[in-house]
Amino acid sequence: MTRDQVLTLVREHLAEELEVEIGRIDEGTRFKEDLDADSLDLYELVMELEDNYGVTVSEEQATHIKTVGDAVGFVLEHAPA
Amino acid sequence: MAGDRAVTVALDGYGAEQGFDVLEAGARLAAADGIGVRVFGPRRALGLDGVAGIEVLDTADHIGNDEDAVRAVRAKKESSVVRAARDVAEGDSDALVSCGSTGATMAAATFGLRRLKGVQRPALAVQLPVPGKPVLFLDVGANVEVRAQHLVQFAFLGAAFSHAVLEVENPSVGLLTVGEESGKGREEVVEAHRLLGKASGIDFAGNVEGRDLPAAKADVVVTDGFTGNVALKLLEGTAKTVAAAVGDAARSNPMAAAGGLLLKPALDGLRRDLHPDTTGGAILLGLRGIAVVGHGSSGAEGIANAVRLAARCAEVDAVGRTAALLAEGGAGRAALAAEGDG
Repeated sequence: MTRDQVLTLVREHLAEELEVEIGRIDEGTRFKEDLDADSLDLYELVMELEDNYGVTVSEEQATHIKTVGDAVGFVLEHAPA
Repeated sequence: MAGDRAVTVALDGYGAEQGFDVLEAGARLAAADGIGVRVFGPRRALGLDGVAGIEVLDTADHIGNDEDAVRAVRAKKESSVVRAARDVAEGDSDALVSCGSTGATMAAATFGLRRLKGVQRPALAVQLPVPGKPVLFLDVGANVEVRAQHLVQFAFLGAAFSHAVLEVENPSVGLLTVGEESGKGREEVVEAHRLLGKASGIDFAGNVEGRDLPAAKADVVVTDGFTGNVALKLLEGTAKTVAAAVGDAARSNPMAAAGGLLLKPALDGLRRDLHPDTTGGAILLGLRGIAVVGHGSSGAEGIANAVRLAARCAEVDAVGRTAALLAEGGAGRAALAAEGDG
Protein backbone atom coordinates (compact mmCIF):
# COMPACT_ATOMS: atom_id res chain seq x y z
CA MET A 1 0.00 0.00 0.00
CA THR A 2 1.38 3.38 -0.98
CA ARG A 3 0.70 6.82 0.42
CA ASP A 4 -1.01 7.77 -2.83
CA GLN A 5 -3.39 4.79 -2.63
CA VAL A 6 -4.50 5.67 0.89
CA LEU A 7 -4.80 9.34 -0.02
CA THR A 8 -6.98 8.46 -2.99
CA LEU A 9 -9.34 6.38 -0.85
CA VAL A 10 -9.66 9.13 1.77
CA ARG A 11 -10.27 11.81 -0.86
CA GLU A 12 -12.87 9.73 -2.69
CA HIS A 13 -14.65 8.85 0.54
CA LEU A 14 -14.81 12.47 1.70
CA ALA A 15 -15.87 13.80 -1.70
CA GLU A 16 -18.70 11.27 -1.86
CA GLU A 17 -19.93 11.58 1.70
CA LEU A 18 -19.52 15.32 2.16
CA GLU A 19 -20.60 16.21 -1.38
CA VAL A 20 -17.52 18.36 -2.06
CA GLU A 21 -15.34 18.61 -5.15
CA ILE A 22 -12.50 16.11 -4.89
CA GLY A 23 -10.14 18.83 -6.12
CA ARG A 24 -10.76 20.70 -2.87
CA ILE A 25 -9.23 17.89 -0.85
CA ASP A 26 -5.49 17.46 -0.36
CA GLU A 27 -3.24 16.33 2.47
CA GLY A 28 -3.42 19.69 4.18
CA THR A 29 -7.21 19.85 4.19
CA ARG A 30 -8.67 20.14 7.70
CA PHE A 31 -11.80 18.10 8.31
CA LYS A 32 -13.65 20.55 10.50
CA GLU A 33 -12.51 23.95 9.31
CA ASP A 34 -12.21 23.27 5.57
CA LEU A 35 -14.83 20.59 4.97
CA ASP A 36 -17.34 21.36 7.71
CA ALA A 37 -17.16 17.72 8.76
CA ASP A 38 -18.61 16.83 12.15
CA SER A 39 -18.03 13.97 14.57
CA LEU A 40 -20.35 11.61 12.72
CA ASP A 41 -18.52 12.28 9.44
CA LEU A 42 -15.22 11.50 11.12
CA TYR A 43 -16.55 8.31 12.70
CA GLU A 44 -17.58 7.11 9.27
CA LEU A 45 -14.14 7.90 7.86
CA VAL A 46 -12.50 6.00 10.70
CA MET A 47 -14.72 3.00 10.01
CA GLU A 48 -13.85 3.17 6.32
CA LEU A 49 -10.17 3.09 7.18
CA GLU A 50 -10.66 0.23 9.64
CA ASP A 51 -12.59 -1.81 7.09
CA ASN A 52 -10.20 -1.20 4.23
CA TYR A 53 -6.81 -1.33 5.93
CA GLY A 54 -7.32 -3.40 9.07
CA VAL A 55 -6.22 -0.60 11.37
CA THR A 56 -7.86 0.02 14.73
CA VAL A 57 -8.35 3.63 15.73
CA SER A 58 -8.99 4.34 19.40
CA GLU A 59 -11.04 7.31 20.57
CA GLU A 60 -7.85 8.94 21.84
CA GLN A 61 -6.05 8.42 18.53
CA ALA A 62 -9.02 9.72 16.58
CA THR A 63 -8.89 13.05 18.39
CA HIS A 64 -5.42 13.64 16.94
CA ILE A 65 -6.52 13.09 13.33
CA LYS A 66 -7.42 16.58 12.20
CA THR A 67 -6.33 16.67 8.56
CA VAL A 68 -6.44 14.38 5.56
CA GLY A 69 -2.68 13.96 5.86
CA ASP A 70 -3.07 12.89 9.51
CA ALA A 71 -5.49 10.15 8.45
CA VAL A 72 -3.21 8.91 5.67
CA GLY A 73 -0.19 8.94 7.96
CA PHE A 74 -2.06 7.01 10.65
CA VAL A 75 -2.98 4.24 8.23
CA LEU A 76 0.56 3.91 6.90
CA GLU A 77 1.98 3.77 10.43
CA HIS A 78 -0.55 1.34 11.93
CA ALA A 79 -1.69 -0.95 9.10
CA PRO A 80 -0.77 -4.59 9.66
CA ALA A 81 2.11 -5.72 7.48
CA MET B 1 -36.83 -6.44 -0.85
CA ALA B 2 -34.46 -8.94 -2.36
CA GLY B 3 -35.95 -11.00 -5.19
CA ASP B 4 -39.38 -12.48 -4.69
CA ARG B 5 -39.07 -13.35 -1.01
CA ALA B 6 -41.45 -11.89 1.53
CA VAL B 7 -40.38 -8.67 3.16
CA THR B 8 -37.98 -9.69 5.90
CA VAL B 9 -37.14 -7.94 9.14
CA ALA B 10 -33.99 -8.45 11.22
CA LEU B 11 -35.13 -8.46 14.85
CA ASP B 12 -32.74 -7.95 17.74
CA GLY B 13 -33.51 -10.88 20.04
CA TYR B 14 -32.35 -9.04 23.16
CA GLY B 15 -33.59 -5.90 24.86
CA ALA B 16 -37.25 -6.63 25.48
CA GLU B 17 -37.65 -5.70 29.15
CA GLN B 18 -40.48 -8.18 29.60
CA GLY B 19 -38.22 -11.05 28.59
CA PHE B 20 -37.64 -13.54 25.83
CA ASP B 21 -41.17 -14.96 26.07
CA VAL B 22 -42.64 -11.61 25.04
CA LEU B 23 -40.15 -11.16 22.23
CA GLU B 24 -40.93 -14.67 21.02
CA ALA B 25 -44.66 -13.93 21.06
CA GLY B 26 -44.13 -10.66 19.19
CA ALA B 27 -42.08 -12.39 16.50
CA ARG B 28 -44.78 -15.05 16.10
CA LEU B 29 -47.50 -12.39 15.68
CA ALA B 30 -45.52 -10.60 12.99
CA ALA B 31 -44.67 -13.82 11.18
CA ALA B 32 -48.33 -14.79 11.21
CA ASP B 33 -48.92 -11.67 9.07
CA GLY B 34 -46.59 -13.08 6.41
CA ILE B 35 -43.54 -11.06 7.38
CA GLY B 36 -40.24 -12.93 7.36
CA VAL B 37 -38.44 -12.47 10.67
CA ARG B 38 -34.75 -13.18 11.25
CA VAL B 39 -34.16 -13.10 14.99
CA PHE B 40 -30.65 -12.47 16.34
CA GLY B 41 -30.72 -13.87 19.85
CA PRO B 42 -30.17 -16.91 22.05
CA ARG B 43 -31.73 -19.85 20.24
CA ARG B 44 -32.57 -21.89 23.34
CA ALA B 45 -34.17 -19.02 25.27
CA LEU B 46 -36.27 -17.88 22.34
CA GLY B 47 -37.87 -21.19 21.47
CA LEU B 48 -38.67 -20.15 17.91
CA ASP B 49 -37.10 -23.02 16.01
CA GLY B 50 -39.37 -24.46 13.38
CA VAL B 51 -41.85 -21.58 13.39
CA ALA B 52 -42.95 -20.77 9.85
CA GLY B 53 -41.51 -17.50 8.60
CA ILE B 54 -39.01 -17.20 11.45
CA GLU B 55 -35.31 -17.93 11.36
CA VAL B 56 -33.21 -17.73 14.50
CA LEU B 57 -29.56 -16.78 14.09
CA ASP B 58 -28.01 -17.85 17.34
CA THR B 59 -26.37 -14.84 18.96
CA ALA B 60 -24.81 -14.84 22.40
CA ASP B 61 -23.59 -11.26 22.71
CA HIS B 62 -25.63 -8.11 23.13
CA ILE B 63 -25.24 -4.45 24.13
CA GLY B 64 -26.81 -3.35 27.38
CA ASN B 65 -28.44 -0.06 28.26
CA ASP B 66 -25.59 0.83 30.60
CA GLU B 67 -22.86 0.61 27.96
CA ASP B 68 -21.40 3.48 25.97
CA ALA B 69 -23.39 2.96 22.78
CA VAL B 70 -20.91 4.11 20.14
CA ARG B 71 -17.95 2.41 21.78
CA ALA B 72 -19.88 -0.83 22.27
CA VAL B 73 -21.11 -0.92 18.68
CA ARG B 74 -17.57 -0.52 17.40
CA ALA B 75 -16.18 -3.14 19.78
CA LYS B 76 -18.92 -5.79 19.76
CA LYS B 77 -19.15 -6.77 16.12
CA GLU B 78 -21.04 -10.00 16.95
CA SER B 79 -23.61 -8.44 19.27
CA SER B 80 -27.23 -8.93 18.33
CA VAL B 81 -28.02 -5.39 17.20
CA VAL B 82 -24.80 -5.03 15.20
CA ARG B 83 -25.40 -8.38 13.48
CA ALA B 84 -28.99 -7.43 12.73
CA ALA B 85 -27.91 -4.11 11.20
CA ARG B 86 -25.29 -5.93 9.14
CA ASP B 87 -27.96 -8.36 7.94
CA VAL B 88 -29.88 -5.42 6.49
CA ALA B 89 -26.77 -3.83 4.99
CA GLU B 90 -25.89 -7.11 3.29
CA GLY B 91 -29.39 -7.50 1.86
CA ASP B 92 -30.51 -10.57 3.77
CA SER B 93 -33.16 -8.52 5.58
CA ASP B 94 -35.04 -5.41 4.52
CA ALA B 95 -35.27 -3.59 7.83
CA LEU B 96 -33.93 -3.59 11.39
CA VAL B 97 -35.95 -3.63 14.62
CA SER B 98 -34.56 -3.48 18.13
CA CYS B 99 -36.24 -2.93 21.48
CA GLY B 100 -32.85 -2.75 23.18
CA SER B 101 -30.67 0.25 23.97
CA THR B 102 -31.84 3.22 21.89
CA GLY B 103 -28.33 4.60 21.67
CA ALA B 104 -26.85 1.28 20.54
CA THR B 105 -29.59 0.79 17.97
CA MET B 106 -29.03 4.27 16.56
CA ALA B 107 -25.27 3.76 16.44
CA ALA B 108 -25.50 0.28 14.91
CA ALA B 109 -27.98 1.50 12.31
CA THR B 110 -26.10 4.68 11.48
CA PHE B 111 -22.74 2.94 11.09
CA GLY B 112 -24.10 -0.27 9.64
CA LEU B 113 -26.65 1.07 7.19
CA ARG B 114 -24.95 4.42 6.56
CA ARG B 115 -26.59 7.77 6.00
CA LEU B 116 -28.45 8.57 2.83
CA LYS B 117 -26.28 10.55 0.45
CA GLY B 118 -26.42 14.21 1.42
CA VAL B 119 -27.98 13.62 4.85
CA GLN B 120 -25.96 15.18 7.62
CA ARG B 121 -27.76 13.81 10.68
CA PRO B 122 -30.30 11.00 10.95
CA ALA B 123 -33.29 11.90 13.12
CA LEU B 124 -35.45 9.83 15.41
CA ALA B 125 -39.15 10.20 14.66
CA VAL B 126 -42.26 9.05 16.52
CA GLN B 127 -45.92 9.08 15.69
CA LEU B 128 -47.73 11.02 18.41
CA PRO B 129 -51.02 9.18 18.84
CA VAL B 130 -53.24 12.23 18.53
CA PRO B 131 -56.75 10.79 18.18
CA GLY B 132 -57.93 11.03 14.61
CA LYS B 133 -54.79 12.58 13.19
CA PRO B 134 -51.40 11.21 14.25
CA VAL B 135 -48.54 13.70 14.18
CA LEU B 136 -45.04 12.70 13.12
CA PHE B 137 -42.62 14.33 15.56
CA LEU B 138 -38.86 14.52 15.10
CA ASP B 139 -36.14 14.65 16.31
CA VAL B 140 -36.88 13.04 19.68
CA GLY B 141 -33.36 12.35 20.78
CA ALA B 142 -30.79 11.57 18.11
CA ASN B 143 -29.27 15.07 17.97
CA VAL B 144 -29.10 17.19 21.10
CA GLU B 145 -27.63 20.11 19.17
CA VAL B 146 -28.54 20.96 15.60
CA ARG B 147 -27.81 23.50 12.90
CA ALA B 148 -30.40 25.15 10.68
CA GLN B 149 -29.52 22.78 7.82
CA HIS B 150 -30.22 19.79 10.04
CA LEU B 151 -33.70 21.09 10.86
CA VAL B 152 -34.37 21.64 7.17
CA GLN B 153 -33.35 18.08 6.41
CA PHE B 154 -35.53 16.78 9.27
CA ALA B 155 -38.47 18.54 7.63
CA PHE B 156 -37.84 16.69 4.37
CA LEU B 157 -37.23 13.36 6.11
CA GLY B 158 -40.47 13.72 8.06
CA ALA B 159 -42.51 14.81 5.07
CA ALA B 160 -41.26 11.88 3.00
CA PHE B 161 -42.09 9.38 5.74
CA SER B 162 -45.50 10.91 6.38
CA HIS B 163 -46.37 10.68 2.71
CA ALA B 164 -44.85 7.28 1.94
CA VAL B 165 -45.66 5.33 5.09
CA LEU B 166 -48.54 7.15 6.79
CA GLU B 167 -50.18 7.98 3.47
CA VAL B 168 -50.71 11.64 4.26
CA GLU B 169 -51.24 13.47 1.01
CA ASN B 170 -49.08 16.60 0.88
CA PRO B 171 -48.21 16.61 4.62
CA SER B 172 -47.82 20.00 6.28
CA VAL B 173 -44.60 20.56 8.21
CA GLY B 174 -44.30 22.80 11.27
CA LEU B 175 -41.19 24.06 13.03
CA LEU B 176 -41.45 23.89 16.82
CA THR B 177 -40.45 27.08 18.57
CA VAL B 178 -41.69 29.70 21.02
CA GLY B 179 -43.96 31.79 18.82
CA GLU B 180 -45.71 31.84 15.48
CA GLU B 181 -43.76 34.76 14.02
CA SER B 182 -40.80 33.92 11.79
CA GLY B 183 -38.29 35.66 14.04
CA LYS B 184 -39.17 33.67 17.15
CA GLY B 185 -36.69 31.15 18.52
CA ARG B 186 -32.99 30.43 18.60
CA GLU B 187 -30.75 31.51 15.73
CA GLU B 188 -30.78 28.11 14.02
CA VAL B 189 -34.57 27.94 14.19
CA VAL B 190 -34.98 31.39 12.65
CA GLU B 191 -32.57 30.43 9.87
CA ALA B 192 -34.34 27.10 9.32
CA HIS B 193 -37.62 29.02 9.02
CA ARG B 194 -36.07 31.19 6.32
CA LEU B 195 -34.74 28.20 4.39
CA LEU B 196 -37.96 26.20 4.69
CA GLY B 197 -40.01 29.20 3.64
CA LYS B 198 -38.50 29.07 0.18
CA ALA B 199 -37.99 25.31 -0.07
CA SER B 200 -39.81 23.44 -2.80
CA GLY B 201 -41.29 19.98 -2.51
CA ILE B 202 -42.78 20.31 0.97
CA ASP B 203 -45.71 22.18 2.48
CA PHE B 204 -44.12 24.35 5.16
CA ALA B 205 -46.77 25.43 7.68
CA GLY B 206 -44.51 27.85 9.55
CA ASN B 207 -43.78 27.88 13.26
CA VAL B 208 -45.82 25.86 15.73
CA GLU B 209 -45.81 26.08 19.51
CA GLY B 210 -45.87 23.33 22.10
CA ARG B 211 -49.63 23.48 22.50
CA ASP B 212 -50.00 22.88 18.75
CA LEU B 213 -48.37 19.45 19.01
CA PRO B 214 -51.29 17.59 20.61
CA ALA B 215 -53.67 19.76 18.58
CA ALA B 216 -52.18 18.29 15.38
CA LYS B 217 -51.74 21.71 13.80
CA ALA B 218 -49.25 20.18 11.37
CA ASP B 219 -48.81 16.63 10.09
CA VAL B 220 -45.09 16.73 10.79
CA VAL B 221 -43.40 18.76 13.52
CA VAL B 222 -39.65 19.31 13.54
CA THR B 223 -37.31 20.26 16.36
CA ASP B 224 -33.91 19.43 17.83
CA GLY B 225 -33.42 16.17 19.72
CA PHE B 226 -33.17 17.76 23.16
CA THR B 227 -36.40 19.74 22.87
CA GLY B 228 -38.10 16.83 21.13
CA ASN B 229 -37.22 14.35 23.83
CA VAL B 230 -38.34 16.67 26.63
CA ALA B 231 -41.61 17.42 24.82
CA LEU B 232 -42.27 13.73 24.12
CA LYS B 233 -41.71 12.68 27.72
CA LEU B 234 -43.84 15.60 28.93
CA LEU B 235 -46.70 14.54 26.68
CA GLU B 236 -46.43 10.90 27.77
CA GLY B 237 -46.31 11.86 31.43
CA THR B 238 -49.21 14.28 31.14
CA ALA B 239 -51.35 11.72 29.33
CA LYS B 240 -50.63 9.14 32.04
CA THR B 241 -51.39 11.55 34.88
CA VAL B 242 -54.62 12.78 33.30
CA ALA B 243 -55.73 9.22 32.58
CA ALA B 244 -55.11 8.24 36.20
CA ALA B 245 -56.99 11.31 37.44
CA VAL B 246 -59.96 10.48 35.21
CA GLY B 247 -59.94 6.93 36.59
CA ASP B 248 -59.84 8.18 40.18
CA ALA B 249 -62.69 10.59 39.50
CA ALA B 250 -64.75 7.83 37.90
CA ARG B 251 -64.38 5.70 41.03
CA SER B 252 -65.01 8.51 43.49
CA ASN B 253 -68.73 7.85 44.07
CA PRO B 254 -71.48 5.51 42.84
CA MET B 255 -72.91 7.98 40.33
CA ALA B 256 -69.48 8.62 38.79
CA ALA B 257 -68.80 4.88 38.72
CA ALA B 258 -72.01 4.29 36.79
CA GLY B 259 -71.03 6.97 34.30
CA GLY B 260 -67.56 5.45 34.05
CA LEU B 261 -69.05 2.06 33.16
CA LEU B 262 -71.08 3.62 30.37
CA LEU B 263 -67.98 5.32 28.99
CA LYS B 264 -65.71 2.29 29.37
CA PRO B 265 -66.01 0.87 25.83
CA ALA B 266 -65.19 4.24 24.27
CA LEU B 267 -62.36 4.88 26.73
CA ASP B 268 -60.86 1.46 26.12
CA GLY B 269 -60.63 2.25 22.42
CA LEU B 270 -59.05 5.59 23.18
CA ARG B 271 -56.58 3.97 25.60
CA ARG B 272 -55.61 1.51 22.89
CA ASP B 273 -55.08 4.34 20.38
CA LEU B 274 -52.91 6.24 22.83
CA HIS B 275 -50.87 3.25 24.04
CA PRO B 276 -47.21 3.43 22.95
CA ASP B 277 -47.39 -0.20 21.72
CA THR B 278 -49.88 0.83 19.04
CA THR B 279 -47.44 2.88 16.94
CA GLY B 280 -44.62 0.32 17.07
CA GLY B 281 -41.86 2.65 18.24
CA ALA B 282 -39.59 5.26 16.78
CA ILE B 283 -37.97 5.17 13.37
CA LEU B 284 -34.53 6.44 12.52
CA LEU B 285 -34.90 8.51 9.37
CA GLY B 286 -32.16 9.50 6.95
CA LEU B 287 -30.38 6.18 6.52
CA ARG B 288 -29.88 3.95 3.49
CA GLY B 289 -31.93 1.32 5.27
CA ILE B 290 -34.81 1.12 7.69
CA ALA B 291 -34.34 1.02 11.45
CA VAL B 292 -37.12 0.96 14.01
CA VAL B 293 -36.42 1.45 17.71
CA GLY B 294 -39.13 -0.34 19.64
CA HIS B 295 -40.05 0.50 23.22
CA GLY B 296 -38.01 -1.50 25.71
CA SER B 297 -41.20 -2.03 27.71
CA SER B 298 -43.15 -3.28 24.68
CA GLY B 299 -45.49 -6.18 25.04
CA ALA B 300 -45.85 -8.82 22.33
CA GLU B 301 -48.23 -6.64 20.32
CA GLY B 302 -45.83 -3.68 20.57
CA ILE B 303 -42.95 -5.78 19.26
CA ALA B 304 -45.12 -7.14 16.47
CA ASN B 305 -46.19 -3.59 15.57
CA ALA B 306 -42.56 -2.47 15.45
CA VAL B 307 -41.84 -5.30 13.00
CA ARG B 308 -44.97 -4.43 11.00
CA LEU B 309 -43.91 -0.76 10.83
CA ALA B 310 -40.46 -1.74 9.59
CA ALA B 311 -41.96 -4.11 7.03
CA ARG B 312 -44.33 -1.43 5.78
CA CYS B 313 -41.44 1.01 5.35
CA ALA B 314 -39.68 -1.57 3.20
CA GLU B 315 -42.79 -2.36 1.17
CA VAL B 316 -43.39 1.26 0.23
CA ASP B 317 -39.69 1.96 -0.40
CA ALA B 318 -39.59 4.68 2.24
CA VAL B 319 -35.83 5.05 1.80
CA GLY B 320 -35.95 5.54 -1.95
CA ARG B 321 -38.81 7.99 -1.71
CA THR B 322 -37.01 9.95 0.99
CA ALA B 323 -33.90 10.22 -1.17
CA ALA B 324 -36.04 11.39 -4.08
CA LEU B 325 -37.73 14.10 -2.02
CA LEU B 326 -34.41 15.34 -0.66
CA ALA B 327 -33.06 15.61 -4.20
CA GLU B 328 -36.23 17.24 -5.51
CA GLY B 329 -36.24 19.83 -2.75
CA GLY B 330 -32.54 20.62 -2.96
CA ALA B 331 -32.11 19.58 0.66
CA GLY B 332 -28.87 17.63 0.34
CA ARG B 333 -25.75 18.72 2.18
CA ALA B 334 -24.10 20.47 -0.77
CA ALA B 335 -27.24 22.32 -1.83
CA LEU B 336 -27.93 23.54 1.70
CA ALA B 337 -24.30 24.61 2.16
CA ALA B 338 -24.55 26.66 -1.04
CA GLU B 339 -27.81 28.14 0.19
CA GLY B 340 -26.18 29.11 3.47
CA ASP B 341 -23.31 30.79 1.66
CA GLY B 342 -25.67 32.68 -0.58
